[in-house]
Amino acid sequence: MAKARDVVGLACGDPFGTTAARVVSIRADELLQHSEGVLDTSEIERLHDMRVASRRLRAAMEVFEPCFPRKRFRVALKEVKAIADALGERRDRDVSVIALETFGAALAGPDRRGVAAMIDQLREEQSLANERLVPFVDRRRLTDLRDGIEELVAVADRRAV
Amino acid sequence: MKARKVRKLDPAAPLDQNAAKIVRTRVDELRSLAPQALDPDATEAQHNMRIAAKRVRYVLEVTGFCFGAPAQTACRRARDLQDLLGEMHDCDVMLPRVQAEIERLRGEDARALLLQAADADDLDPGLVAHAPNRTVYRGLELLAVHLRARRALLFERFHHLWQAQVSKGTWAKLERAVDEQLSKTKEERKSPPNGNADPAPRETARAPSHSAS
Repeated sequence: MAKARDVVGLACGDPFGTTAARVVSIRADELLQHSEGVLDTSEIERLHDMRVASRRLRAAMEVFEPCFPRKRFRVALKEVKAIADALGERRDRDVSVIALETFGAALAGPDRRGVAAMIDQLREEQSLANERLVPFVDRRRLTDLRDGIEELVAVADRRAV
Repeated sequence: MKARKVRKLDPAAPLDQNAAKIVRTRVDELRSLAPQALDPDATEAQHNMRIAAKRVRYVLEVTGFCFGAPAQTACRRARDLQDLLGEMHDCDVMLPRVQAEIERLRGEDARALLLQAADADDLDPGLVAHAPNRTVYRGLELLAVHLRARRALLFERFHHLWQAQVSKGTWAKLERAVDEQLSKTKEERKSPPNGNADPAPRETARAPSHSAS
């Protein structure tokens, strides 16, 4: 799992809004950074990293919610949640496939049939979840989201001083 | 689970004052779920506790440096809870799915046997030897057994982990650190700097800067 980028130079006495601006800006950047290659189901850690980045961004936005203009904040948060949900749908299947493959490998040959059939079902669902994910990881869409969040961040920064 | 609303947050006030209110609310939320979640069958309470632990973890990742060592420890312990409860949740999701699949196969086989019975007065027991899915059940039954046993094992670990956190004072220490900050804020409100005297610079503002991950 990718470690979150450090937000250096924070101080406890800094205004809440200034901290919000710095943290949320970095977390939004991270989401975009981790979006490369997430549709490749042979490298599932990439999607996991992006999912974690989406969760961190969502959490940071929720912690600092009062620092942002309400209406635009809600729109941005809704988009982050939608991306996180779409990533989660794929991730759930990735994890289940691995768990069942591990379990199946421990079974005697004749007992594997049922588990193998469930793995096939999960692979189909994984593929469907991947198709549904495509629009959510579109570079342009993610860049628009990051830019929208940067505008929110600028407001938070201004309000704090 | 919807997060409890944290009231009176002020974007212009210092980070530590606001963070104290958020952390206090999130830790209260986590602790209030524990009594229910410690019932082995309370899957929903356990799921809610996982979400509460996640919220505690993420707020501490960003603001924990304002509350010292207890916050750093609590952040790690929240992650431990989140991971363990997450694995339990995975079992809770997979087990009914496996059971439903077994049930579906049973139904399919019963229909196949019925067709083979044709006009017979009764069903020939020997027909089960030809049930199309007869070799599929065992693996799935074993998977269901494995999930049930693993879930029970994870629950035991969760129970011990929570008891250990409580007995080591993980959450109580964090609450004390946060409450100190909240009292300090109250005091500062009660006795604002008088007259022309400049307010003393806040200790936290003078402290070296930190990084949040």
